Amino acid sequence: MATPLELIKKKRAEAVSRIIGKGYLASTRVYVGMATCEIAAGSKEVMEVFRQAIAKGALTDVYLSQKGCTGRCNLEPTVEVVQMGKIPVRYGRVDKQRAMEIIERHLKGGQVIEEWVIG
Amino acid sequence: MQEIMDYAITICEGSTCISKGADRFKSLIMEELERLGLADKVKINISGCLGMCEKGPLMVVNPGYTIYGGIKPDDVREVIESHILNGKPVARLVVQEDHLFNRFYRIFGDVGFFGKQMRVTLRNCGIIDPENIDDYLALRGYEALAKVLTEMTPQQVIDEVKRSGLRGRGGAGFPTGLKWELTAKQPGPEKYVICNADEGDPGAFMDRSAIEGDPHTVLEGMIIGGYAIGSNHGIVYIRAEYPLAIRRLQIAIEQARQHGLLGKGILGSSLDFDIEIRLGAGAFVCGEETALIHSIEGSRGMPRPRPPFPATSGLFGKPTLINNVETWANIPVIILDGAGWFSSIGTATSKGTKVFALAGCVVNTGLVEVPMGTTIRQVVYDIGGGIPGGRRLKAVQTGGPSGGCLPEAFLDTPIDYESLVQAGSIMGSGGMIVMDETACMVDVARFFLEFTQSESCGKCTPCREGTKRMLEILERIVGGQGKPGDIERLERLGNMIKRASLCGLGQSAPNPVLSTIRHFRDEYEQHITEKKCKAGVCRALLTYTITDSCVGCGACKRVCPVQAISGSKKQKHQIDQAICIKCGQCYTTCKFNAIVKA
Repeated sequence: MATPLELIKKKRAEAVSRIIGKGYLASTRVYVGMATCEIAAGSKEVMEVFRQAIAKGALTDVYLSQKGCTGRCNLEPTVEVVQMGKIPVRYGRVDKQRAMEIIERHLKGGQVIEEWVIG
Repeated sequence: MQEIMDYAITICEGSTCISKGADRFKSLIMEELERLGLADKVKINISGCLGMCEKGPLMVVNPGYTIYGGIKPDDVREVIESHILNGKPVARLVVQEDHLFNRFYRIFGDVGFFGKQMRVTLRNCGIIDPENIDDYLALRGYEALAKVLTEMTPQQVIDEVKRSGLRGRGGAGFPTGLKWELTAKQPGPEKYVICNADEGDPGAFMDRSAIEGDPHTVLEGMIIGGYAIGSNHGIVYIRAEYPLAIRRLQIAIEQARQHGLLGKGILGSSLDFDIEIRLGAGAFVCGEETALIHSIEGSRGMPRPRPPFPATSGLFGKPTLINNVETWANIPVIILDGAGWFSSIGTATSKGTKVFALAGCVVNTGLVEVPMGTTIRQVVYDIGGGIPGGRRLKAVQTGGPSGGCLPEAFLDTPIDYESLVQAGSIMGSGGMIVMDETACMVDVARFFLEFTQSESCGKCTPCREGTKRMLEILERIVGGQGKPGDIERLERLGNMIKRASLCGLGQSAPNPVLSTIRHFRDEYEQHITEKKCKAGVCRALLTYTITDSCVGCGACKRVCPVQAISGSKKQKHQIDQAICIKCGQCYTTCKFNAIVKA
């Protein structure tokens, strides 16, 4: 019989393949902060903008996920864009408007919007 | 605004790395980058201890999270030329580590805010999707549990926790391993494991964020605790005001059950353990362990004298192991990264890290986790970014309504349980409020006492009556009715309440008052004898007057709700002090700075 350690390793491998199955290896990953504080600051709307963009096919090759609190209370809601081989970019105080611009200028246009980036 | 670079190099400037020469690396790296014309492509960060001291000096290159260890100046040159210029990591210097702590560095390694931090309990917060167990499993989730079930006896687990030096993160700092051992020694079979998530300090949100960001780590810690003490019933006591945290816990518990990580025969072993959630109604006193237990039992949340401690007679009279959220979240790391590693972080008496909710007059408010021994100054200035608006720091409040205010002279106090007590405050559960010169310390003390006074359960007289009397005196002082001898009365009452109260609430309630008297006695005296509040907070002690700069525009006259201002057009106006209610509206309305408050 398998030991708990062997079992958990199997579970991990399965979990990883499920995450990959959801599109984790896309060339761009977008994370939206969704803790109570971020939601209070308006992150649900922001999430919806990205979700819609993917659903409507405006964004392709993008993996979208929520995440917990990173601890940057004064800059919420936060959105991260992680692209292979590049330094991840974190945007602060993202609202609906900014989210749409991030989609247009950064995700589609490849241009980081530097004035909204958290240093 | 920040420039987007191609690479970020992080140099560890923990004390061990510095002793090995790391403090010379920054200028060396800059020289090299300059020489190769790469200066505008690389960002250099200085970090606090990265927790890999034996491999130091360390240098991390992102993206890719390549850790270089044991580097010498020549190696620095080689890394820059080979890795940064030509994109080829220098394999012979790379440290292969798959530790749990500081996982955020892999993604966030380039951010200054995280520099002096070390993330152990918050290691997955802001990285994983808290509603998906797969994300947790992928980052070695539940491996600590599996390791314990495969390789360790309950006694070995307890020994490991004892060896780590972990102490209760709820604030009191009782050695966690000892608590586990005491509970394990009690006769079974019925025992309980409780997670205290009844976070009630005003301004504190560490536990909520930890659960919302990474609920599984708390569950994993609890299951390991259950295995160690021989219990198969866990309860998370969480306040109903945290609906999202509760929902994420429920999702996490459900997913853990589906994966056979909760329930009967966990991971094919003989361990049965399940966890349920109990909601608290938001009474501050229910964070006290015996009151919390009464609340779960269905009684009114009131403390009882200890001993017997919950370890011997807790929930329903059975042995009960009760720990705080943050304490539980440390357990998987101690098991996987080792007690030896854990105890290498921190000071002689306080090991590991502590999470703080940094709030108040500070540029970067937020959740921070720092190694024990970090000074308050480093938290406020290096991580918090200092005081906004060029104002001066006046005090830092730690420990919430049970803690105290430390003035600027105490900013270099290292964060550990004993040093903070010595300075007149406490570690507490992790609230840290920064106050600048616009804060009145008497009013701050009144605010916290008003909170504890209304949260006193009323069971014991010193707390119920004593805090009320103290509050009355403070209200008198801020209301301009202070009498000579009030300070001494407050001190006498406060010390009496501390000694005579039944539980931690009363024993610590006078702390905000006593610590502000200790460090800011002159402010109290000013309020009482001169009837002045120099911070301009206590309304009753302020007088508004109109100076000669008045042009007679009449704006103040129009906003005054009690018609206390008179004067004809283009003439200097006056305020009738007998009518003025000191609302301050004239002061904020005047465009000519012609109204002064003093």
